[in-house]
Amino acid sequence: MENLIIEETKYTPRIVLDANEGIIELKGKSYPENTFEFYKPMMEWLEEYFDGNAPEKIVVNIEIIYFNSSSSKLFFDFFDLLDEAKDEHQIEINWIYDEENDSAEEAGEDFIEDFEDLTINLVSK
Amino acid sequence: MKSSTIMSEGDSVLIHEIEELQSSFDKTTKKLIKDIKRQNKIMTRSDKRQKREYDELQNRLKEVQKLQLAQKELLDSFIKLIAGAIDAKSHYTGGHCERVPQLSMMLAKAAHDAHDGIFESFCIANEDEQRELEIASWLHDCGKVVTPEYVVDKATKLETIYNRIHEIRTRFEVIHRDLTIEALQKKLAGDDESEVDAWLAKEHQELVEEFKIVARANIGAEFMKDEDKAKIHQIATRTWVRNFDDTLGLAHEEKKRVLAEKTTTPQVEKLLSDKQRDIIPREHFDYEEYERMGFKTKVPKFLYNRGELYNICINAGTLSYEERFKIQEHIHMTIRMLERLPFPEYLKNVPLFAGAHHETLIGTGYPRELTKDDMPIPSRIMAVADVFEALTASDRPYKEPKTLSQSIKILSFMVEDQHLDGDIFRLFLKSGVYLEYAKAYLKPEQIDEVDIEQYL
Ligand SMILES: [Fe+2]
Ligand SMILES: [Fe+2]
Repeated sequence: MENLIIEETKYTPRIVLDANEGIIELKGKSYPENTFEFYKPMMEWLEEYFDGNAPEKIVVNIEIIYFNSSSSKLFFDFFDLLDEAKDEHQIEINWIYDEENDSAEEAGEDFIEDFEDLTINLVSK
Repeated sequence: MKSSTIMSEGDSVLIHEIEELQSSFDKTTKKLIKDIKRQNKIMTRSDKRQKREYDELQNRLKEVQKLQLAQKELLDSFIKLIAGAIDAKSHYTGGHCERVPQLSMMLAKAAHDAHDGIFESFCIANEDEQRELEIASWLHDCGKVVTPEYVVDKATKLETIYNRIHEIRTRFEVIHRDLTIEALQKKLAGDDESEVDAWLAKEHQELVEEFKIVARANIGAEFMKDEDKAKIHQIATRTWVRNFDDTLGLAHEEKKRVLAEKTTTPQVEKLLSDKQRDIIPREHFDYEEYERMGFKTKVPKFLYNRGELYNICINAGTLSYEERFKIQEHIHMTIRMLERLPFPEYLKNVPLFAGAHHETLIGTGYPRELTKDDMPIPSRIMAVADVFEALTASDRPYKEPKTLSQSIKILSFMVEDQHLDGDIFRLFLKSGVYLEYAKAYLKPEQIDEVDIEQYL
């Protein structure tokens, strides 16, 4: 499967989906004008990926400094996807945030609460 | 009886379908509940974040406001520092840069409050406009930082920054002569004493009178008529013999000028003269820039002319043509300095307000020979404030301060000559600003009775 890389813009994060290495990375801000439109390629890629194209071990690094409400919603959907795949794969999620960024930290805590079966590490920088 | 036997085949299918429906309903409901919970969570987080961001924004705003205030204070202090430096530079102009803004602002406020004639449409709409006026008046003479003090302070016609080697040399000359005289006296001891005494007394008397004439002219208090100048030129023809080399002890700039003259000794010298060395050429003057800036005042050929006769024969006051231009150049520099500053939009008129205070209503002022139409009300206000402060200032050691009525009379002449704006002059009187200012800044003995009716 091909890798998917979306470069960072003023309002959207850099997205790196490395098929062979099993690395999923989101880094930057998430204020797209149309959130679901923006993340659609990523979600479609992931669905295809977990449909038998992903390796055993997968690492997810998310470092989102600022994000809007629809991005939060999308992250829940994204975690749902991971949640569904967790039985066939060993998934490790690193939720990375700046120690002064309370909003990002609290969002990470929300995900841990909602997805008790996923391995989510809160990593403060 | 087994239950299965009771139920028909159809019932069993129905129950199965219901059970399936129920299970799917449960799943959907669960998912819906989960979704609602998530939505709530997202909303709560979002609200919380918005509040945080709002607080942050408020804090930043406060910080920006604090910085703005600090910057404004810094700018104000800087402006006052420049004004203070100019006032400190010359005790002859004293607190001019500080008092002109006071008077200008009083007049501006009176113009704002007045609603008749030209003031109908004039108002100080907000704090920014007030500030624009204040800054302009505080900086109206900022170009004076580059005006040489000895020109600003030139108290007598012969005053310069002076290499006193010349004076010292003169003393050597005198001693030289005294020795010669002493020798002659000894030789001539046989003469009729009383005759010689009478002759000498007469000669001395004449010399003393001539010196008095030169000395009085040097003060510059009286106008030099043609016959006064002729007398000075006649006195100048007296001679003395110079026995010393007058190229010694000079810095190379002066030496260059002196070497253009005959300096052999002994040399018969005129008592007063205009010499080549007295002319300081004008070098590195950017005429193109001068024109580009719109400055119209004629530029004297020489930078300075220090000729003794030339200076003693100055018509009125102590300043030569070249020196008067040097003084006027302060306004060129004011305009250059202010036009170079990146004033924000709301202060963009500062150079215009500050730079026109030496213009008249009829194009006879300087440096741009503007007329009334080119000068907004604040510029015309500053022109009146500038003159009135200068007339009434009591901290100029070289002149007696004028009384209130004398100063107003002079203003009225300048209004008649269209040098100052009559509307502003009358506002100055009618509004009572003249008295308010006088009480604040004039000495009690200067404040006399003024019949303002005669001017209205
Ligand atoms: Fe001036
Ligand atoms: Fe002035």
